[in-house]
Amino acid sequence: MKKVKRRTISVLVLIAVIAAGLGLYIVRFAIHGDDWAGFVSNGNAFSGGRLQEGRIVDRNGVTLLDISGGSYSYAEDETVRRATLHAVGDRDGNIGTSAIKMFASELLGYNPITGIYSFDGDGGTLQLTIDSELNAVAYNALAGRSGTVAVADYTTGEILCMVSTPSFDPENPPEISADDTSGVYLNRFLSSSFTPGSIYKLVTLAAAIENISDLFERDFNCSGTMQVGSDNIVCTRAHGEMKIEDALAMSCNCVFAQLALELGSATMAEYAAEYGLTGSVYVDGIGTAAGRYDEAADGSIDLAWSGVGQYNDLVNPAAMLRFVSAIANSGRAVELTQVDSFRIFNNSERVMRSSTAERISQMMDYCVSYTYGEENFPGLQLRAKSGTAEVGGGKDPNAWFVGFLDDEEHPLAFVVLIENGGWGSAAAGSVANQVLQAAVD
Amino acid sequence: MLNGISDFITDIFASETFLSDASRYITFATRFILPLLAVLILWRCTRSLLAGKHEREVWGYLSLPNGAKIELTNWENIIGRAASSDVVMEYPTISRSHAALIRNAQGEWTLFDIGSKLGVIHNGKDVKSPVRVRTGDIIELGGVELVFVKASAGQEREQAMGRSRPGREIRPGTTLVLLTEFILFLGLQLCTSAGDNLDISVPIVFAALIIMIWVCYMITRALDRVGFEIETIAFLLTAIGFGVCASSDPDALFKEFFCLIAGLLGFWILGTFLRDLDRAIKMRWPIAAAGLLLLAVNLVTAESIFGARNWLSIGSISFQPSEFVKVCFVFAGAATLDRLFARRNLVLFVAFAAVCVGCLAMMSDFGTAAVFFAAYLVIAFMRSGSFATVLLSAAGAAFAVFIVITARPYIADRFSTWGHAWDFPNDGGYQQTRTMASAASGGLFGLGAGKGWLKNIFAADTDMVFGFVCEELGLIMGIVTICGIVALALFAVKSAGSARSSFYAIASCAAVSILLFQVILNVFGSLDILPFTGVTFPFVSKGGSSLITCWCLLGFLKAADTRQNASFAIRLPKQRQRPTRRDEISREEAEED
Repeated sequence: MKKVKRRTISVLVLIAVIAAGLGLYIVRFAIHGDDWAGFVSNGNAFSGGRLQEGRIVDRNGVTLLDISGGSYSYAEDETVRRATLHAVGDRDGNIGTSAIKMFASELLGYNPITGIYSFDGDGGTLQLTIDSELNAVAYNALAGRSGTVAVADYTTGEILCMVSTPSFDPENPPEISADDTSGVYLNRFLSSSFTPGSIYKLVTLAAAIENISDLFERDFNCSGTMQVGSDNIVCTRAHGEMKIEDALAMSCNCVFAQLALELGSATMAEYAAEYGLTGSVYVDGIGTAAGRYDEAADGSIDLAWSGVGQYNDLVNPAAMLRFVSAIANSGRAVELTQVDSFRIFNNSERVMRSSTAERISQMMDYCVSYTYGEENFPGLQLRAKSGTAEVGGGKDPNAWFVGFLDDEEHPLAFVVLIENGGWGSAAAGSVANQVLQAAVD
Repeated sequence: MLNGISDFITDIFASETFLSDASRYITFATRFILPLLAVLILWRCTRSLLAGKHEREVWGYLSLPNGAKIELTNWENIIGRAASSDVVMEYPTISRSHAALIRNAQGEWTLFDIGSKLGVIHNGKDVKSPVRVRTGDIIELGGVELVFVKASAGQEREQAMGRSRPGREIRPGTTLVLLTEFILFLGLQLCTSAGDNLDISVPIVFAALIIMIWVCYMITRALDRVGFEIETIAFLLTAIGFGVCASSDPDALFKEFFCLIAGLLGFWILGTFLRDLDRAIKMRWPIAAAGLLLLAVNLVTAESIFGARNWLSIGSISFQPSEFVKVCFVFAGAATLDRLFARRNLVLFVAFAAVCVGCLAMMSDFGTAAVFFAAYLVIAFMRSGSFATVLLSAAGAAFAVFIVITARPYIADRFSTWGHAWDFPNDGGYQQTRTMASAASGGLFGLGAGKGWLKNIFAADTDMVFGFVCEELGLIMGIVTICGIVALALFAVKSAGSARSSFYAIASCAAVSILLFQVILNVFGSLDILPFTGVTFPFVSKGGSSLITCWCLLGFLKAADTRQNASFAIRLPKQRQRPTRRDEISREEAEED
């Protein structure tokens, strides 16, 4: 019988298989349970692809969406509804990066202990970090133009404002035809990339500070055009003799084109990647649209243009916001987030030397006082850079305004983009002013 | 009268106020009470089954020429030089496995030569065929002389009296009270969650189940048996299965209940039949042949329901014969210790297994074919002890699987989505993704019995039942169902060394292997850890044939339970019998030595 007893090991092998499989499942359950419960075909939570329960509130507890028994009721104020549409999501789930789509398990009140059970069957409450009033201000400031406005706390990464236009009222969704090209369902902040224009000079500048030792001693000269091979880089006017600070403040294309040529395309690409501008950055697990920096041949006109944010350059607004946040935050980029409860770990990553960040910050301060005019931003300790990105096709340029407040009480970074908005500092700058005034108020 | 009661019950659960207030509280409470009770019940049964130390028994002696006395501690003993022998004799002239000395239920001992080099001599004569040995007989192995003495009836009685009985420390009655509460709360929750749609079969069947359990327990006690842990675990799992059925398909509850009764009858009949080893061995091949016949009839006449041609309909009753063949398969696979060394025996079994698995594959019932194959591997290893045999079989099976995959593209499809269910949530991963989504929705404590959604998906209460249980009753309950089967398997392993015959040990291990492998395929298939196959979870999945067969398989487990007065499948020692003259003599003989 001893032989038989020993051979029962074969049964123990089967038990070991069960133990291993069950262990694997429990680990997967702990890691992915929220995604599983939020699966759109989970009939416990969805019906016909629509979430059945849950509530979304803003940082002040204002209800943005209340779903009960499959019926959706949005915020009371129509402007708030339009301004928070892309953050919250529409009934039919057309906005892919919206909270309804991305945070279903939070809306359901999922946790691995009680699953999606709730005593009264009401689901959970998702608190977003956005301020619905600030969103409304930004929405009004955009005044019907296409674009995006975002404001984030650069010390914590909390997004306080995230507006994308065009938008619509989710309570009364319009008929939107299948061949619509306005991109109304697109959250431009997360899911689009645009030609950056002059705001990209900040990237070229950062690379130059760290690679060209006599940058600040140099005397630059701009005659209005600069020949590269058989082509010309052009400026709006002849800027004459200047130091690098003036070159940034006057946004001199010739100087930055020259810096790009000097740095070489490999170095330029390396810095773009280091700052997260070419790949996707992640906002609560949502990957943003990737940016782009094509390495042009060294010495070419393309490389020259790429240094001033033209050529094939593309940036995503969220990635840009993260970049200026890093400048504001002594070179540390914090992970952006729009969900209150996700901010358990304040993830930040050094992307830039603090001395470089400090230098750029001072120069952006000079941009405001020298070019944009402090009187246009009353009471704000603003540091910023504008961009007017040529988009071709006979369209007006995209207007950009990016930067931050050097203000411990209001550590806010922002990005404003108006598609075909015209002159950067004029169009986007004014929107930024209205939003920031509301934010510090 | 019955209508009146039924209306009354339906009214209670349907009334508006009751629903709105009490039902929420009941759901809230039962979500915690049910897992707690289930864990307690399983813990008590498992401890009672596994905690007790193996109590050494002595059934006879062998005296060496130098006067040393070797105890025979089993009914079946191998004598040889190998360390795995029951009686180890370190003489160069003795083969590794030399002879077998086997006692039967009547206390008669038989000596076998199991392929020794130098032969076995009994009272001066060569042992060619098995020979009876009596107290005082001289057995000569490779030139070493041994004197055989069997334990007297008196000694055996004393030994039986001295052994501890299960149930003293952990009272089975208390466990059953907990189980009764479990069923009451489960039934109550199901009734409240059904509300207006309450099917009267739910309260009736749950009440009948409680009565059934206590009747079984009383019969067991009336037979002076005290082991009820195996039944309790099976009843717990059956109750969970009834909960699943009540939630998904209450119309089928009565049928499930009648199948439970049939299963219990099968369990008792099989257990009682197994009491007599000679009878069981004699019936081995007829039963195997019956199994083959059943498969053959099935193959010829069966109808294809849901893809696999494994259903047989007689009148209005349809059943899956392949389920019952599992019992025949275990019978055919088990063997007594002396037969383990006869190669012809194993070859016959290999052929039998190949035919069974082949028939199932032809019916496209690949899940059950895999279960049979796993049982075959366990049996083959327990009989031959050779990894080579097992590896060779596994290699052959892998080749067969390869052929099947290339020949049947829809099977290949299943393998191609395996591990990537979430990439194909609406085709190849349809069931798996819904199982996982529902299981996650339930968390640890579930949404409440009857409150789930998975039941709307086809085969949720059978092939995806683990997700069903996790959704409605929680992951804790899901783990309890798995651990219930594992506890039965551990008990089979524990009792294998002390079974009265390796026939019982192999049979019980084969039976639990079938249950274990079904758990593996059912649970991990629906969770995308293994390819999805339509195999039932023992006792829990809805399905009459499966329920009956699982209960029958437990009969083999009971036959290996040699704890004192534990199992109805083991004869009790004769009590208070006046010692006979023969006993006196044998005792004197024993004492003289």
